[in-house]
Amino acid sequence: MTQTKKTALTPLSPSLRANVQAVNARFGGSSDLVVRLFRSDAAPERELGLLYIEGLVNTDVINESLLAPLMSMKLPPHMEGKSDRLMEALRTSVVSIGSVKEAAALEEGIQQMTDGWCLIFVDGNAVALMAAVGGAKERAIGIPQTQTVIRGPQRAFVEELGTNISLIRRIIRSPDLHVQTHKIGTQTHSSVAVLHLHGVADQGIVKEVYRRLAAIDLDGILESGYIEEFIQDETFTMFPTLLNSERPDSVAAGLLEGRVAVLVDGTPIALIAPTTFFSFFQSAEDYYQRYDIASFVRTIRYAAYVMSMLLPALYIAVTTFHQEMLPTTLLISLAAQREGVPFPGLVEALLMEMTFEVLREAGLRMPRAIGPAISIVGALVLGQSAVQAGIVSAGMVIVVSFTAISNFVMPENNMAATSRIIRFGIMIMAGMLGFFGIFISVLFVLIHLASLRSFGVPYMSPVAPGGKSGGLWRDVFVRVPWWAIVLRPLDMKLRNPKRQRSGRKPPAQRH
Amino acid sequence: MKAIRLLLLGSLLLLQTGCWNRVELNDIAIISATGVDWENGKWVLTNQIVIPKAISGQAGGGRTAAVNVFSSTGDNFRIAISKASQESSRRLYFSHNQIVIIGQEAARKGVGPLLEAYLRNHDSRETVDVFLSKGTARLMLEQLIPLEQIPGAAIQRMIVNEEMSSSSYRQMTIHHVLMDLLGHTKATSIPGLALAGSGESTDRVDMLSQTSTPSKVRLSELGLVYGDKLVGWIGEEQSKGVMWLTNHVDKTTVAFACTAGGKGRQGSSARVLHSVTKVKPQQQDGKWVMKVNIEAQGTLLEYDCGGDLMKPEEIWEVERLVEERIASIVTDGWEVVRKHKVDVLGFGTLIYKHHPKTWKVIERNWKEEFPQTEIELNVNMKLSSTGMSGKSFKEAQKKPGL
Repeated sequence: MTQTKKTALTPLSPSLRANVQAVNARFGGSSDLVVRLFRSDAAPERELGLLYIEGLVNTDVINESLLAPLMSMKLPPHMEGKSDRLMEALRTSVVSIGSVKEAAALEEGIQQMTDGWCLIFVDGNAVALMAAVGGAKERAIGIPQTQTVIRGPQRAFVEELGTNISLIRRIIRSPDLHVQTHKIGTQTHSSVAVLHLHGVADQGIVKEVYRRLAAIDLDGILESGYIEEFIQDETFTMFPTLLNSERPDSVAAGLLEGRVAVLVDGTPIALIAPTTFFSFFQSAEDYYQRYDIASFVRTIRYAAYVMSMLLPALYIAVTTFHQEMLPTTLLISLAAQREGVPFPGLVEALLMEMTFEVLREAGLRMPRAIGPAISIVGALVLGQSAVQAGIVSAGMVIVVSFTAISNFVMPENNMAATSRIIRFGIMIMAGMLGFFGIFISVLFVLIHLASLRSFGVPYMSPVAPGGKSGGLWRDVFVRVPWWAIVLRPLDMKLRNPKRQRSGRKPPAQRH
Repeated sequence: MKAIRLLLLGSLLLLQTGCWNRVELNDIAIISATGVDWENGKWVLTNQIVIPKAISGQAGGGRTAAVNVFSSTGDNFRIAISKASQESSRRLYFSHNQIVIIGQEAARKGVGPLLEAYLRNHDSRETVDVFLSKGTARLMLEQLIPLEQIPGAAIQRMIVNEEMSSSSYRQMTIHHVLMDLLGHTKATSIPGLALAGSGESTDRVDMLSQTSTPSKVRLSELGLVYGDKLVGWIGEEQSKGVMWLTNHVDKTTVAFACTAGGKGRQGSSARVLHSVTKVKPQQQDGKWVMKVNIEAQGTLLEYDCGGDLMKPEEIWEVERLVEERIASIVTDGWEVVRKHKVDVLGFGTLIYKHHPKTWKVIERNWKEEFPQTEIELNVNMKLSSTGMSGKSFKEAQKKPGL
């Protein structure tokens, strides 16, 4: 699947000079293409050429494992004088590099060069020897930036695919962990690895991932977000149907549950599919800390998510339509705050919500050095002064602040973003129809959620469609102790739906 | 593309609703209390509206009164309300109304129209407390009450407090009144409000800056209503008797004297913490006899008599004294209600419940038959504690010193 396009391959020429020229021409004379021509002691009559791209290779390896042995090599006794078998000798006994291949076509060699391989031409041979000497400078493995935990591994993916795969292999040390790498991007030739646990994951879904990946024909893949938009089931939805993670342990957990992971070279963010609505409320830490605390925190997360979606709308509805629902004292206090506020409740709320969104975006994009300045302007000037100036009421500031904070409890940023958009729609409905409007909106969202699928798995499972085994519910709204989670969570045909044998509750020990 | 166009058209429909019946918080006048008076052949409706800004917020709470009182006149209630818009900048908002005060004159004229208005309109709540007032309702609404900023809410809390700690009067909501007046006896009792003190109206904020106000609103007497008209008032002690008879006493304090028969100064008191009254009607010699059984339980609060309370027999003696006192309160209450010939005690309803067929016969002339009814009282008081000391202080002093 490396090259889906069938282009005519140019065979290599026996002439070293011609080959070097061809490669050079193909790269347009790029200055980072290094061409080293030399002669070996074994066959001084034949010129050898070493080609690689600077920066993609490890020059130490080239110097020690390639150039030095090549220059000083001696032909083995049985090959004495047979300089035409030099190529074979190189491969079998000189080049001390793990991955070595031969290329007969120019394109083949060039493709490998961009991956950090070097080409060795021997004059008179129409074949190139390729050796993997990659080793560009990479960022060290760091701690997770977006999905932080207190208890649990503190390793995050980096940009390099090989490192990322190794991070997962170091967690799941099993030959059943199968990795398939695809090259996607007609220009970038980005490596995209698909990982699944053989014997656990549903083969149909694995095949479907392969199929959807093969259909991508974009010039460049810079981040897994590109892949996500190509392989998700439904484009016109505000809800993410693929889970993102920068945590190797989260991806490993997904694989153990029978999901498929997609890792893209050049980004620390991996994709996990299929996924359900409820997976977005599960933090890695839920499984590391005690189950009772994890369940409590998870419940809070659900509540906060609902709040972040509905709170401003509820405030608008209550203060402009259903004042009778408030306790009298609260009503009077709210009414006092609203004295002199020139805008209707809806406009006031929209104004404050927009202000917050702008602040948030500014906080993300601005240069780090300006951070404190923005905080002061945002918190003091906009919050306090807006109230003092009588543009918005203090209650509204509290509502907007709490809404904003509720939004940050979500372990998955893309699901949090969803509620930020939907919130505005519900606010407008609440401003026009009160609770009735909120009810319509919530119903609309629920119906939409129930219609979504992720790689064929219903998005709301196991809640809707319901009626399935209760064992699937043990890790949805709460997390039961580990010994009780017998079934894998996905409501699909897994090869092996059981994680462990049941009845593993530790017996009470009496001493 | 077509779908998007349809969606856009559809969203235009939303705008057509024009925000339905939206009303902003600063477009409503929150009414905390309503008063009803009858003057010169017209209903006078008085509203006490809350001025939110004067209550909370930084702008000098306490300088200005938190409420404003204004009246409007009309041949009926709703016309009076609608006339209020001629002098109010905001829509009157009744959903948070706490109390309704009915002036004496209006109550004598009849509260039917008021109840009719309450039954028909959705924004008036039946959980509103009802009071009668000795003076005009407007005068009661104008009074400021210390501690509380909204007088309407203050009066509402006053009756709740009274009901919970002393049970001389009982909270009567519009709902209760409606249930009684639409019930079998067509009679009810509503607590009254009066202005106690010098009679000078406490209607300026600066008067609250003194340690005592010249006059204050207080609960006073119980108004008896028959049909929809006020027929008479009974005093606080009698009102308590009514509360005992109707099982509305929960917690109260009973003062009692040391001697049997209730003679002498009532120097001791017991706190009733729980009480249940059961009434059973019986027909005896063509007369109705109400078997009243009161089971009360409480503790001794103050003791001024002799005897050693460490002995159970002495306690039984005290219990008997309390029982006697309760019986005399109940009897007093019963006698005065009987005199007014208004069955606010719900005896008629009880007869209906126990003997529905008989009730159908006597229902018509129940008003005449009610005063003929007798009650047979049985009070059982149980003192569960004498407090932290045994003998009275005086008794203890008689002993040689320590």
